[in-house]
Amino acid sequence: MSAVLKPPSPTAEVQPLVKLRDLSVTFATRDRTVHAVNGIDLDLAPGEVLCILGESGSGKSVTLRALMKLLPKFARVSGSIEVGGRDVTKMSERQLSNFRGTEVAMIFQEPMTALDPVFTIGRQIAETVQRHEGLSRSAATARALELLELVQIPSAKRRLDAYPHELSGGLRQRAMIAVALACRPKLLLADEPTTALDATVQIQVLLLLRELQERLGMGVIFVTHDLGVAGEIADRVAVMYAGRVVEEGPVAGLMAGPLHPYTQGLLGATVHAGMRGQRLTTIPGAPPTLDVVPTVCAFAPRCSFVHDECLAGVPVLRSPTPGRAARCVLVPDR
Amino acid sequence: MEPILDRGGPAQPLLAVKGLVKHFPLKGGLLGRTQAVVRAVDNVEFDVLKGETLGIVGESGCGKSTTARLLMRLMDPDAGSMIFDGETVGVNEQAGGLTLRDYRRQVQMVFQDSYASLNPRLPIEETIAFAPRIHGLSSADAVTRARELLAAVGLAPASFARRYPHELSGGQRQRINIARALALRPKLVILDEPVSALDKSVEAQVLNLLVDLKAEFGLTYVFISHDLNVVQYISDRVLVMYLGEVVEMGPVGAIYDRPGHPYTRALLDSRPSMDPAMRRTKPPLTGDPPNPVNPPSGCRFRTRCPYAEDVCAARKPLMADLGGGHIVSCHMASPESGHSLAGKLYEVPPPRADVMGVPA
Ligand SMILES: Nc1ncnc2c1ncn2[C@@H]1O[C@H](COP(=O)(O)OP(=O)(O)OP(=O)(O)O)[C@@H](O)[C@H]1O
Ligand SMILES: Nc1ncnc2c1ncn2[C@@H]1O[C@H](COP(=O)(O)OP(=O)(O)OP(=O)(O)O)[C@@H](O)[C@H]1O
Ligand code: SF4
Ligand SMILES: [Mg+2]
Ligand SMILES: [Mg+2]
Repeated sequence: MSAVLKPPSPTAEVQPLVKLRDLSVTFATRDRTVHAVNGIDLDLAPGEVLCILGESGSGKSVTLRALMKLLPKFARVSGSIEVGGRDVTKMSERQLSNFRGTEVAMIFQEPMTALDPVFTIGRQIAETVQRHEGLSRSAATARALELLELVQIPSAKRRLDAYPHELSGGLRQRAMIAVALACRPKLLLADEPTTALDATVQIQVLLLLRELQERLGMGVIFVTHDLGVAGEIADRVAVMYAGRVVEEGPVAGLMAGPLHPYTQGLLGATVHAGMRGQRLTTIPGAPPTLDVVPTVCAFAPRCSFVHDECLAGVPVLRSPTPGRAARCVLVPDR
Repeated sequence: MEPILDRGGPAQPLLAVKGLVKHFPLKGGLLGRTQAVVRAVDNVEFDVLKGETLGIVGESGCGKSTTARLLMRLMDPDAGSMIFDGETVGVNEQAGGLTLRDYRRQVQMVFQDSYASLNPRLPIEETIAFAPRIHGLSSADAVTRARELLAAVGLAPASFARRYPHELSGGQRQRINIARALALRPKLVILDEPVSALDKSVEAQVLNLLVDLKAEFGLTYVFISHDLNVVQYISDRVLVMYLGEVVEMGPVGAIYDRPGHPYTRALLDSRPSMDPAMRRTKPPLTGDPPNPVNPPSGCRFRTRCPYAEDVCAARKPLMADLGGGHIVSCHMASPESGHSLAGKLYEVPPPRADVMGVPA
């Protein structure tokens, strides 16, 4: 990402917590090839919350997994991935297992993918702490209790002995967050952690995550397809389309005045409160299949502003004002 | 096979549901004895008016899908009756009723999972033509109807008719499900989370389509969703469920502008604000919805309600009429209930997140 995107900071440059440069991920199997991520540049400052927004298949989860080197072996990954100044692509298995947990942790939509059904919640947290920090059993148990209280699980002491299936959906989500935070990671990766939750529980978990993020000073990358969720939790938003970031900027500015026709379409198509009786604007068609890397603007077939220049190559990221940028030829570049 | 004509006149409800109950026994132990009962739908009553869209909202497990399946008669209720345009459903004609077979022709359903509900081995035009053929339309006529419906849902028959479900996107598959539901020219279509699995850009296409089809075919909808903005967008009236019961029902404007039940207020206030400048600091409710296996006594919302008093545990609130077809089941709404705020429903603090908060 170009220097223009960095928020103007009066003090010395802060080292970014996450630095992705030209990240690409391709899945090639005998039957088909998917170019899931096609050159992503992203920075995350320490203590910043970035939401990655985009529709199904745009490459959000693959990007997150690449950051933790959690992709299957057959995935072809290129570009550079730095977290806390270290090159993730070059880490050995041992370095990785230490890195996951102490520096980076991940939470998911379905907590049972992260929790082990045969161990109690308390045991799982204590084990994680013991493994990474070499604490004694009793110190680790004390930490587990502290963590359950931190994520606001009621009757935390009793819940230490609960198995995941004994908890309600919202409590399970909190337990997963507690496990993720066990070793105080500097970076939390969240893949739609509130999507499956009920409305009254989703807002609780969102507010909890924001509070924890502020208290612990964590950087967070939060994947969602819900604009409202981004509005509630993000500092900055990156919009993905067909494996590329097509727009990014501070959340308020982006939601008030989206630059890219896709972001504009997405905002227009999202049913807001009080839209009764209005015809909804839609984005015609569907995203490309990604069996080849798009060599022109990938949104062009669905874009109502399309013209020759859009089909001359992949539009570069243009920045009309500091901090804002979009990959669209219509956006003025300073 | 023409659409069945309107019988009882426009003022007669298309469907009147009375005292609907469905409990699921949870079996366990060596002998498979019933250990507990899930009170999925408990004494639910409502009318569906001709030509309206009735929205049903509520959290996971509150009984929305069970209600839908009961309306479709995909299962039998434990108690309760359904009257379709004046005729009791499931009673034979001699007794002045409507047989299930005749009823099912007029009521169709669209499910959330667009993939699971289509036959993977049939080209989609065959899938759509299947039911009309069973109901006596000739093969050629059934295919003609299928192609008309494909066009009506915005999929050009020439390029889509012979495709298989796996060759379609999620939004396209959901259009097929809608086309299939319309193939028997039903009067009532029950849509259970029809757009929940779709991306926002596709969701808008399907919602526009539902609005168009309703006008074109003179349909009545029951629209189930957990997305409160979508329900507000599409519904004329809204029914709010909590743990198997109706807690509030009324015209969409009344429900969204003057929600009465503390649960409805909290639910509406849980929506993300869409405005980063309006972020809230406290969630409207704490905790999860309780399990419908052993629902709380009295008002089922009392364990999460900031205004709960002894009377709420002791007695189930009556349905209070707020006027204009707006009804609510809360002791604060009934002047005689014995609640300290009885009759003062709208005097309790407005539905604001930081006000509704209850200590953990
Ligand atoms: N292990 C894999 N093998 C092959 N293809 C994969 C694999 N993982 C992801 N893909 C493909 O990569 C593309 C991007 O997937 P990704 O999971 O990142 O999407 P997403 O943006 O997270 O979507 P969603 O909102 O549906 O979760 C998709 O086309 C997907 O099918
Ligand atoms: N066939 C069944 N056997 C036993 N329990 C059932 C059955 N079907 C539903 N239930 C239970 O009945 C309750 C109501 O379920 P239902 O599917 O109607 O909820 P819902 O409101 O549609 O929820 P969601 O928003 O998750 O779709 C739940 O507790 C559910 O577990
Ligand atoms: S680059 Fe062209 S086609 Fe792409 S979004 Fe911008 S205007 Fe539309
Ligand atoms: Mg994903
Ligand atoms: Mg359901």
